[in-house]
Amino acid sequence: MRLPALGTIRVSRTDGIRALVVLGLMAIGLFLLPAVLTVDWMGVLAAAACYTITALGLGILVGRVGLVSMGQVAILEIGAWIGARLLFATSLPYPVVIVITAILTGVIGTIIGLPALRLSGLYLALITLMLAGAVTILLSVTNFPNGAGGFLGYDSSTTIPPSIRRPSIADSDTGFWRYALVVTLIMFLVALWHVRSKPGRAWAAIRQSEPSAMAAGINITFYKLWALLLASTLTGVGGALLAGSSGQLYQTAFSTDQSIQLLAVVLMGGAYTLWGALVAGFLFSVVPHILDLWHLNSSLLLILFGVGVLQVLTTAPQGIAVQFPKDMANLGRLIWRGVRLVVPARGGAGA
Amino acid sequence: MPSWTQLQPFIVTGLSLGGVYALSGTGIVVLYRTTGVLNLAFGAIGMFGAFLSWQLIHEEGWPQGLGFLAAVAFSVVAMWLYGMVFGPPLAQRDPLVKASATLGFALILLGASSWIWSAAGGATRFQPIPTDTHHFSVGEAMVNWTQVIALAVGVLVVVLTGALLRFTRLGTAMRALANDREVSAVLGVPVRRVEAVAWLWAGVLSGVSGLLLSDLVGLDQVTLTFIVLISSVAAALIARLRSILGTLVAGLGIGLVDACAQPFSGISRYHDMAPFVLALVGLLFVTRKGGALAGRRIV
Amino acid sequence: MRRNLVRGRVTAVLGVAALTTALVVGVTSSSGAASTSVSQSKGGKSVCGLGNGKKATGSPIKLGAINTQQPGTDFTDIGLMAKAYFDCVNANGGIYGHRIAFTEETESTTAQTASAAAKKLIEGIKVVGLVGNSSIIEADINHKYYEQKGFYVIGAGIAVSAYSTSHFASINMGPRYSSDGAAQWALSKKPDKLIFDQSNVPGTGYNAGGVALIAKKYKVPYKLETDNVPIQDGKSVAQRLVQDAGKNGVVVLNFTPPEALKILQGAQQQGLQDDVKAWACSTPCNTDFLAASLGPGWYGKLGVNAELNLTSAKAPDSALYRSVLKQYGKAVKGGLGSFSQMGFTAGRIATQALLDMGPNATYTAKTVNAAFKAVKDFKTDILCKPWYYGKGSFHLPNNTDRTVTPSKDGKVMVQLQGCFGIDPVDPEVAAARKIEAKQ
Repeated sequence: MRLPALGTIRVSRTDGIRALVVLGLMAIGLFLLPAVLTVDWMGVLAAAACYTITALGLGILVGRVGLVSMGQVAILEIGAWIGARLLFATSLPYPVVIVITAILTGVIGTIIGLPALRLSGLYLALITLMLAGAVTILLSVTNFPNGAGGFLGYDSSTTIPPSIRRPSIADSDTGFWRYALVVTLIMFLVALWHVRSKPGRAWAAIRQSEPSAMAAGINITFYKLWALLLASTLTGVGGALLAGSSGQLYQTAFSTDQSIQLLAVVLMGGAYTLWGALVAGFLFSVVPHILDLWHLNSSLLLILFGVGVLQVLTTAPQGIAVQFPKDMANLGRLIWRGVRLVVPARGGAGA
Repeated sequence: MPSWTQLQPFIVTGLSLGGVYALSGTGIVVLYRTTGVLNLAFGAIGMFGAFLSWQLIHEEGWPQGLGFLAAVAFSVVAMWLYGMVFGPPLAQRDPLVKASATLGFALILLGASSWIWSAAGGATRFQPIPTDTHHFSVGEAMVNWTQVIALAVGVLVVVLTGALLRFTRLGTAMRALANDREVSAVLGVPVRRVEAVAWLWAGVLSGVSGLLLSDLVGLDQVTLTFIVLISSVAAALIARLRSILGTLVAGLGIGLVDACAQPFSGISRYHDMAPFVLALVGLLFVTRKGGALAGRRIV
Repeated sequence: MRRNLVRGRVTAVLGVAALTTALVVGVTSSSGAASTSVSQSKGGKSVCGLGNGKKATGSPIKLGAINTQQPGTDFTDIGLMAKAYFDCVNANGGIYGHRIAFTEETESTTAQTASAAAKKLIEGIKVVGLVGNSSIIEADINHKYYEQKGFYVIGAGIAVSAYSTSHFASINMGPRYSSDGAAQWALSKKPDKLIFDQSNVPGTGYNAGGVALIAKKYKVPYKLETDNVPIQDGKSVAQRLVQDAGKNGVVVLNFTPPEALKILQGAQQQGLQDDVKAWACSTPCNTDFLAASLGPGWYGKLGVNAELNLTSAKAPDSALYRSVLKQYGKAVKGGLGSFSQMGFTAGRIATQALLDMGPNATYTAKTVNAAFKAVKDFKTDILCKPWYYGKGSFHLPNNTDRTVTPSKDGKVMVQLQGCFGIDPVDPEVAAARKIEAKQ
């Protein structure tokens, strides 16, 4: 098996259609949603964008390489901490902060995953589960920066904590949602580029069969490491965005059960396609707001996610992003068939 | 620096909690070796059982013994049902998928339990076990019988399970399954029956550890579902998901380190990181020493 | 800042104007019975609103609240009890015939849910006032937004900003001052050391500030400790605290009920409760759940700071609270307790403010919030002293409280110490008293 060189990405006709769909979605997100939705939705959507980026990274790890991280929210927490620290400490432009945060988070996430990488995937999953618990404890000791000095940037006696800064062009909630949406698009392109070029093909080979990938001369550890680095880096981007979106960060938003829920929505959305990340972000951030809108108990969300994971894993492993259009197509065909059955019958009766 | 007399009580609490970690860890390892399912709903099932028994005893007025039995019965049934319903469709899938599916079950139980037993109005619940109030002292430390039971049950279960695996036909069948399912099936091992036994046994262990933890830790959904689970999984992980005896030692070790870090003011606040740190050290040790293990699929 | 000040004055003037109109209109319309018609009491008994038994059908006045709800933490009882009280008001003439339409929103201790809830209420549902907000983080996240929108929240605070900002006033006195009160009781036992242990959440330094000053005043050595929540091993925590405090020391806890319970139980199971002079606890411990969970043996040993009267108190407002909870409070899951008491009191204060606007008032966000801000000298037997809002840059209307302890039979909380003032050595308490003296 010879791998085409990096950079030779073939563009097919369906790509044109996809690009149109993406453009349409962007137009809806940038202009239609802020126009029709009330302002409370803008913060929710911005958070959904942050979690979509995180889910994108986790989805690549799960779907492309077959590695599962059960502690991705812990990495997100690290990213949010670094982002918040930089935003308080420096006056660097927001995009620069995002890039630095992404690099640092990427490195940290990779180092943490390193020892488990050479063992089976189960070990990585379990060590990341423990990481989720450990980072929670670490950050509840250090706390999130609240504008103070020192390395930790936290002063426990602050009475009115200042908000984490946002980009000057996106200070309002609507502005920040648009900003986050554009960043999300860029991250999707980064992910797409990876999936379509050499690393993507290497991952596909590793997922098919590790021995044959090894026989084909693929450096398995290297590409697994790459996937881990990419996932952590994307999560770092999500964290830096989340810092600005939240204004103030609390450790309570990054608990162990949040990590598990994130994995749940990534599996439900479908890890084998990048679209799954959109569904995951929607499930993780928008659905709770909808439940709240209907005044339903928030515990229902956990049950929903639990049932969703079991359902997806047993019957539709490709997730909602793939399954839903199929179901809709089937439904459409069914309706069409029904219509065809009914219409001639009527015609017959009339004649 | 705490003195030796000051340290003693922490050793007692550490050993008792460690005993339960070992108990849960053993359940996780046995189930994993037999069925290939790393059950991360282990804590959630025990948690739900413990809440159920609290409800039956404190709200419905059941006698305590019957309530405790109901908790174990619930865990056994829940564990077994899960195994029977979701075992077959996932049998051919990657161990990671099987483990992730159990997380779905854990979320359902966590959601249902925090819905039924909400914290509204500052509600707190406590389930005393009669042995709580019987104390004796060892050196400088006060010990109550629940703590003794926790440690004793932990050790006993590990020994019993180890003996079962080694000396009975069922145990041999379980070990055969752990080694190679297909070959075992061909050789006439009744796969489904053996698996069912493993699920039932895991249910018993999860129910008992849930009850003990509801007393030792408290009736607190998230803590019992994930935080305690992390300690038990760490114990199993350090034992490389294989050795029962290793799980016991690791479980006790985690309990001890966690509790004994408390009185040292420098590290006191980080003491709950013990399972992660120990598991990480364990993993590094495994990868360094066990070159043969690296890349090899376990089970 | 300056603009805020000016706007503050304008709204205050408006508020006073509304109040005067109310009084004048009241006097002229009901021939001298003005004071009783707006005081929510009849013949020495407290009633809901006008208390006339007529169902309110007029155009609604929209109010709302934001409460924390997530596995393990649930403050919805506060909003739900405020709603129960408003339902009772609606069944008793409403606000001069106007119905109160109340919406409770929940947040799950994330910035986006807290912020979305506030924006949904104010800009989506268009509520004209917020009554009964109680959340771990909400006040920190939203106080700037409330300042922008001119909302004066009547809440039950936990976050620092529920006390330190101009647009949020709480029924309770929150972790810092409640810990002060708990420490004061503990220090009355004349210990030789005080250990103050809290959960490791934002605001710990602020919360500990008062206790440190009070310990210093009593010349008792003081040590601050923190524990991560959820606590996994309450026994070890209890053991550590007892060792650090020593035989003649006291331990003061500031935790949510389940976490405090883990520590106290840990002490009990190891037979440690008598190894220190006393245990004290800030207000969250004041639940009968906790008393019942601990059982006998803690009477006088554990002092819990209580910001509100006992739920069983024989007094008009407390009696009304119990009957409203019984008749309208089906949704209040926790039943009798400080959570629902706070919701009740918040609802009652808001109703009073609305009635004080007079029968012909228009209810906009501007007028209603001006009325909230104008609340002063609100007397209720649920609080030790009259409650007020006012224009302070911070709010601490509740700064006098009680101490309760588990009963001898270990079933409920009973009073151990009547109303006492929080020590003004805590500078914010002194500042609050100065504001009160001016009024």
